[in-house]
Amino acid sequence: MSILGRLLHREDLHSLAAPYALDALEPGERRRFDKHLQDCDRCTAEVRDLSEDAVRLAWSAAAPAPSALRDRVLAAVRSTPQERVPARERTPQLPPHVWGAQPPPGRARTPRARRPLFAPLATATATAALVVASLVAVQANRTQDRLDAEHARAREIAHVLAASDARASTSEDARGRSIGVIASASNGEAVVTLSGYGTPSGGRVHQLWLMRPHAQPRSLGLLAGDTPLIAKGLGKSSSSLAVTIEPDGGSAQPTSQPIVQLTLKSVGFGE
Amino acid sequence: MAADELLVLVAGGDQRAFEDLYSLVSGPVYGLVRRVVRDPAQSEEVAQEVLLELWRSAARFDPRRGSALSWILTLAHRRAVDRVRSARAAGEREQREALRAGEPAFDQVAEEVEAGLEREWVRRCLKRLTALQRQSVTLAYYDGYTYREVAERLSLPLGTVKTRMRDGLTRLRECLGGAA
Repeated sequence: MSILGRLLHREDLHSLAAPYALDALEPGERRRFDKHLQDCDRCTAEVRDLSEDAVRLAWSAAAPAPSALRDRVLAAVRSTPQERVPARERTPQLPPHVWGAQPPPGRARTPRARRPLFAPLATATATAALVVASLVAVQANRTQDRLDAEHARAREIAHVLAASDARASTSEDARGRSIGVIASASNGEAVVTLSGYGTPSGGRVHQLWLMRPHAQPRSLGLLAGDTPLIAKGLGKSSSSLAVTIEPDGGSAQPTSQPIVQLTLKSVGFGE
Repeated sequence: MAADELLVLVAGGDQRAFEDLYSLVSGPVYGLVRRVVRDPAQSEEVAQEVLLELWRSAARFDPRRGSALSWILTLAHRRAVDRVRSARAAGEREQREALRAGEPAFDQVAEEVEAGLEREWVRRCLKRLTALQRQSVTLAYYDGYTYREVAERLSLPLGTVKTRMRDGLTRLRECLGGAA
């Protein structure tokens, strides 16, 4: 194909953004455009905007659903297993911006080299979904108070996850022990989990610290086993998280070397 | 709680959160499907599939790529359009369609659906589009026609229809901007 021909072809594809957002392409064209979107940032941005417009049309059609539908759906939900799809295995059947197969416009600048530290939120969501699931699962044999408290906590975690800048990072050592964080720098919130470290002997505890430049470590609380800890009020300058083993009840300042440390740079902190 | 947060909880298997999410989105999902599919029994079937898919696939939702509601309604629309096209291919609706040819759908179903503020705004804004912009957008979105079919129905070149669709959506955005 000549250069002109290729340009014309490209221009032709660009013009499909609106029909694409309206689901008005034929299956073959839809696939072709999906493919085109993978290396066209301009189209991705345009499709995203146009799709939001199309959704306004959807809202205006809202109508009360038949009550029998609710019963059927809720009954089906009780016996339907959920998908656990790792980000990489997704097949984009819907607009890529919707399924997450495309980087959102304006974020494509994330350096590739940082990939090992930077888990896309899809993974974060899946990880945290497991966290939330475990919280929900243990509710069965708890008192109502505990149950409410745990539900409130699950919702707080969901709140962190739902932030538009939520990102995840994990660090695993050679023995398979890991520390994971899902954080939103704009909200100054993070969910931290420790896995595989067990419970320290002699009634001692795992204490989580926030490390900042030119400042004393700040205690973020005690970590109980694998239970996620929700940390708030994290300043933009926060540089890393550290865990130390402390006497029962915790300490005002760390009294031992950290057993594990995790930088917060990859989750948007450290200005 | 917003749909975005509920969806994250749903991804974790929280059935209570799903019930909340259901209350929030079943109306828009069912209404949209009904608008596109028309047949009540089939609409209910498609809406059920979509709502169940939310439960099954909640983990696929990625907040960085747009709002949960946008994700949900895009899914619902895609499923509704798929259904109406296969029904059309089967020739079931040819008769009724012939009667509707070229008519913008939004006036005809107006009475069927619940009036709301957002709905009023969208209607008002749709009226501000040129006739061709409006017909291009609504024939595709509410009636599930491909842009090729729209071009055929309106006797317009393909390029014109694509442009009208884009201009129509953009103008709608400008008009609705103050109504969010």
